[in-house]
Amino acid sequence: MKKLFFSMLVCAGVLSTINAQDKPIELQKYFGDLTARHIGPALMSGRIIDMESHPTNARIVYAGTAGGGVWKSNDAGTTFNPIFDDYCQSIGAVEVDPNNPDNVIYVGTGETWTRNSVSIGDGLYKSNDGGTTWNKLGFEKSERIANIIVNPKNSNEVYVAILGALWSDSEERGVYKTTDGGQTWNKVLYVDQTTGCADLAMDPNDPNTLYASMWEFRRTGWSFNSGGDKSALYKSTDGGATWNKIHNGFPEGKLGRLAIAVAPSDSNILYTVIEAEEDTKKGLYRSDDAGANWKQLNNDFGITVRPFYFSRIVVDPRNPDVVVKGGLSGSISRDGGKTFRNLGNMHSDIHDIIFDINDSDRMYVGTDGGVYRSWNGGTTMEIVENLPLSQFYHISVDDAEPYNVYGGLQDNGSWYGPSSSGGGISARDWNSIGGGDGFRVLKHPTKNIIYSEMQGAENVWRFDAENKLVKTIQPLPQKGYAKLRFNWNAPMAVSAHQPDRFYMGSQFLHKSEDMGDTWKIISPDLTTNDPAKQQQEDSGGLSMDNSGAENHTTIFTIAESTLDENIIWVGTDDGNVQVTKDGGKTWTNTTPNIPGLPANTWCYHIEASVHGKGTAYAVFDGHTSGDMKAYAYKTTDYGQTWTNIITDDVEIFARNIQEDYVNPDLLFLGTEFGLYITIDGGKQWAKFTNNMPATAVHFIDLQKRTNDLVMGTHGRGVIIIDDISPLRQINKDAMAKKLHFFESKVAEMNDNSGSFGNGFGAETQFVGRNPSTAAQIKYLLPKRHTFGKMTLEIQDMDGNKIASLGPGKSKGINIVNWGYRMKQPKVAKGKTFSFGGFTAPRVPAGSYKAVIKKGRDTFEHTFKVAYDKSSGLSDADRKLKHNTTMKMYDMTQELAYMVYELDAIIEATTKKKTKEALNSLKETLVITTGDNYVGSAEPQLREKMADLYAKIAGSYDKPSNAELESLSIIEERFEKAKVDFAKLKKKAKATLELKSFEAFVNE
Amino acid sequence: MKTLQVFCIAFLVCITTITNAQTADEIITTYIENIGGQEAWSKINSMQVTGVGKQQGVDYPFVATFMKDGRTVIDVDLQGTSFIVEAFDGENSWSMNFQTQKAEAADSESSANYKNEAKDNIPDAFFNYKQKGYKVELLATEEWEGTECFKIKLTKKPVLVDGKEEENVDIYYFDTENYVPIAVESIVTSGAAKGATATILLSDYQEVDGLYIAFSQINKFNGQIGLEMTYKKIEFNTEIDESIFKMPKD
Repeated sequence: MKKLFFSMLVCAGVLSTINAQDKPIELQKYFGDLTARHIGPALMSGRIIDMESHPTNARIVYAGTAGGGVWKSNDAGTTFNPIFDDYCQSIGAVEVDPNNPDNVIYVGTGETWTRNSVSIGDGLYKSNDGGTTWNKLGFEKSERIANIIVNPKNSNEVYVAILGALWSDSEERGVYKTTDGGQTWNKVLYVDQTTGCADLAMDPNDPNTLYASMWEFRRTGWSFNSGGDKSALYKSTDGGATWNKIHNGFPEGKLGRLAIAVAPSDSNILYTVIEAEEDTKKGLYRSDDAGANWKQLNNDFGITVRPFYFSRIVVDPRNPDVVVKGGLSGSISRDGGKTFRNLGNMHSDIHDIIFDINDSDRMYVGTDGGVYRSWNGGTTMEIVENLPLSQFYHISVDDAEPYNVYGGLQDNGSWYGPSSSGGGISARDWNSIGGGDGFRVLKHPTKNIIYSEMQGAENVWRFDAENKLVKTIQPLPQKGYAKLRFNWNAPMAVSAHQPDRFYMGSQFLHKSEDMGDTWKIISPDLTTNDPAKQQQEDSGGLSMDNSGAENHTTIFTIAESTLDENIIWVGTDDGNVQVTKDGGKTWTNTTPNIPGLPANTWCYHIEASVHGKGTAYAVFDGHTSGDMKAYAYKTTDYGQTWTNIITDDVEIFARNIQEDYVNPDLLFLGTEFGLYITIDGGKQWAKFTNNMPATAVHFIDLQKRTNDLVMGTHGRGVIIIDDISPLRQINKDAMAKKLHFFESKVAEMNDNSGSFGNGFGAETQFVGRNPSTAAQIKYLLPKRHTFGKMTLEIQDMDGNKIASLGPGKSKGINIVNWGYRMKQPKVAKGKTFSFGGFTAPRVPAGSYKAVIKKGRDTFEHTFKVAYDKSSGLSDADRKLKHNTTMKMYDMTQELAYMVYELDAIIEATTKKKTKEALNSLKETLVITTGDNYVGSAEPQLREKMADLYAKIAGSYDKPSNAELESLSIIEERFEKAKVDFAKLKKKAKATLELKSFEAFVNE
Repeated sequence: MKTLQVFCIAFLVCITTITNAQTADEIITTYIENIGGQEAWSKINSMQVTGVGKQQGVDYPFVATFMKDGRTVIDVDLQGTSFIVEAFDGENSWSMNFQTQKAEAADSESSANYKNEAKDNIPDAFFNYKQKGYKVELLATEEWEGTECFKIKLTKKPVLVDGKEEENVDIYYFDTENYVPIAVESIVTSGAAKGATATILLSDYQEVDGLYIAFSQINKFNGQIGLEMTYKKIEFNTEIDESIFKMPKD
């Protein structure tokens, strides 16, 4: 058998060689250690769609989110962990099987609160092991799933409410039922291709009795319609076989979105919220006879507001008269629905509420700003602090050290925060820079000025960050021009050529040369100006909803070439790609030149290339017309011709592209289900999944100094892939080698360690990971190392070993961190630990070698290490610091050897007096009593020496005069000890077999 | 020509093996065979590992002693002083307090959980997995960091968490070329990180007395390396001082 084993190894080696030479590089297999890090923010969190309890364990709570997947709390909502990162992150419903709640969980993807910016789902999933692994059960085209209900008496019987497609017709809608645990499904309630199931409820006492609200709805890029003749509330009493409308007491005419809830403690009591034609007939209705008759109880604002966004009713499991309704603030009634008051102060837009299974005072509420807990029945609310679900529309970066990330969030304003911070990037590191819904945020290229905006450019702010001065600078109506149409997410741009230049787009391109004080329109209407798409005051259907979110026929993206300020690209939401080569005097619409692009497909992003004046990339998104395909094109001739760069590798629509500044074939594509990368200009795309959830990537930027890829996601905050430069260097030559070292920049030993962590009070907060400050040895392995020894040493240029590191063994990119330190000194053995002795000294600046031994092969790579220039130390200071540190390092080891010798003599000598004298000497050298805490003994020479060593080695600065004086005292004491020891050693005359000093310190 | 023939035969052997080994149990059987075989591992009564743990750039030399009956001691050398970070005497788990350097018993629930998995160290959880009441399931063939793997779910005895039993699952990735695990994913079952995923990467399989063991183990959490362990020496069936497993009274 073992022979077989080895022949397999041989075979594998041959195969991998063939692969490397003949096949195109399958990039997906080679990402290796290239890993994303998440920096949040979590302080404002993001939209929650559905909350779910465990039926018997009050500690377990689930949150299904709009764009950040499913999160599970095991500590009653104190903290949450993601359990669904590999799958679609837009969630409609989470259901725990009441018969097997520890193991069986269903997740229906696709959020159901159908605002303009919603993402999409891709089906129904089931876990049989509490969320560790998931299987897809189908419904790929369902787009959004509103409810999942498992029969509490039969786990095999499950109902799924499919709301269905928002932007197109679809037959995958209605209520589906399985009787075999999800293997096969029957559509048991269907109305038509425009009407989906918006809410489903089961009688807790009779699993055959079901209530389903069907909703006729449709959204386009420029309008929304809620309601129609087909919206209705249905009841089935035979497990879904037949359904009847239950409208006795309902308002006449068309209906919109309806919510339905059955009181768990009395299943005759039902509540529905009705969106009707007449405002006075809208609101909460109650039935006390299981739906036979209905009576309107309330039509307050809080109950009727925005039905498409808030149609959720929850009844207290123990009291049928306590009813909670989602809404702008959330409303709670304690008199059976007659009157309501607002829930306690929290983020607005309440989408779901659950009561604790044992105590109705404890509630969990899902909002546009995360999950809140209440301990007093919804009066006071506290936010969950570790849900980094922030939904960015856009991000940008500056060139500060560390660089900052700027961006605007769905319903959560605009923010900026650092890409690294002491102890990690925490809530306190983020700064608010705009209210309302936030979108684009840009830093002035040279001044401490930040531009931000709110929806529809109602306000565009210019913030003087130094003097805390705010001014609104949005373009205003101009004589001789039509009314300005700004997109909800209005584009802005700064210039690489003129720092004070600032662009904004309505249907016109506006240019300012003085940071927004003066505006000039430099284009005609660049859109299709289709009046049919400009009727937003009629939008909403039965409930008018003119929030500006549907504004259309607008400019959506602006890109001034970094190579020529007269070249400006503009993309519009109705499908135009316009370019000017003369600073706006003349414009050319290049859209007719784009092959295979459906008419009027939203131009989401244009990237003006740094690799050629006529080169640009354009990304188009057709999802708002039901087209889920990705479209991205490249031109090299100012748009006269465009080439498709999307392949079948890309599974879903895209919104953004980022080119590499060095390798023109390296591109990054932000899609609705995550990040894709190509290294061959778009011939193949590979999905990047290393700590990268399948979340919607709305915007990507590449920080030029660090080569960090920074992504604004719409559901998981800012995600960064540090230093993507190895991707530039993956090619067939590198792949053909047994091991290929990537070129690396000079590694700077950062002295900026001045942080004291996050302190207390942040235990339950999300903290974003910092980038590594270590020297990174990066190499490519064509095949994973599994068998035999593999080692990595850092050596000086003479081949002396400095440090031994654990090498990476991954197929593909390996990244090994070295903290610039040699090993810690050998410390004298005492009763307790010498904490200073755990310090390892930093190496001096210079060249070093990374030496990898793998089997019989040795691979070497030379790299440079430099001092941190910002700490202001001269070469002489550095030298003094290093020499003093190493002097103390050597002293520490010398003392260790002395104590080793002394212990051996004590052990060996028979002379009582000598032994006593040696013990007395030892008591002055190391601590021989006490513990490591409040029982610690008086520090002796070892402790004083090691502590001073650690103080000097750990400081960024050269040794102070006080430290040098202290060193001289320690040296004197050590010299005396050496003399005393030599005398005693002589007296003891013991015969010893001791390790050499070299052997001792290197053991 | 001869080389080509050898290659072809080896290639066919590969394909045949992969095609046949479709069930989790068959994969585990092949794995146990590949690392030395059921019989050879059955004869191992003790395993002593000498190695170095590396955490945040600091090296911690250690000696770990595992007995067939589950008794365990992991002894770390800190500045020349022995410091027991993990021990199990067959019934109870204990370790040293860093402040006092004295032994303290683990809470009874931790001991009970430890006992359930104490026999998983020689060589690992898959050895005699059926006798131990564990279950395996082949979930899929999928890539782990670009290497094709059998994804196998191992369900061990339930773990006690605050008095309640919870499912205890690890996901193993067995390299389809060599039938050895190269990665393990587990959900943290208790403590502040409960619910988060921890990963262990296994490599540097080397032979010792005809048995194969991964000499390198890298523990990752949230994508970052926590602890790296490198084995320097492994000894089987050496003389072990039985007293080391008992918690010292002082």
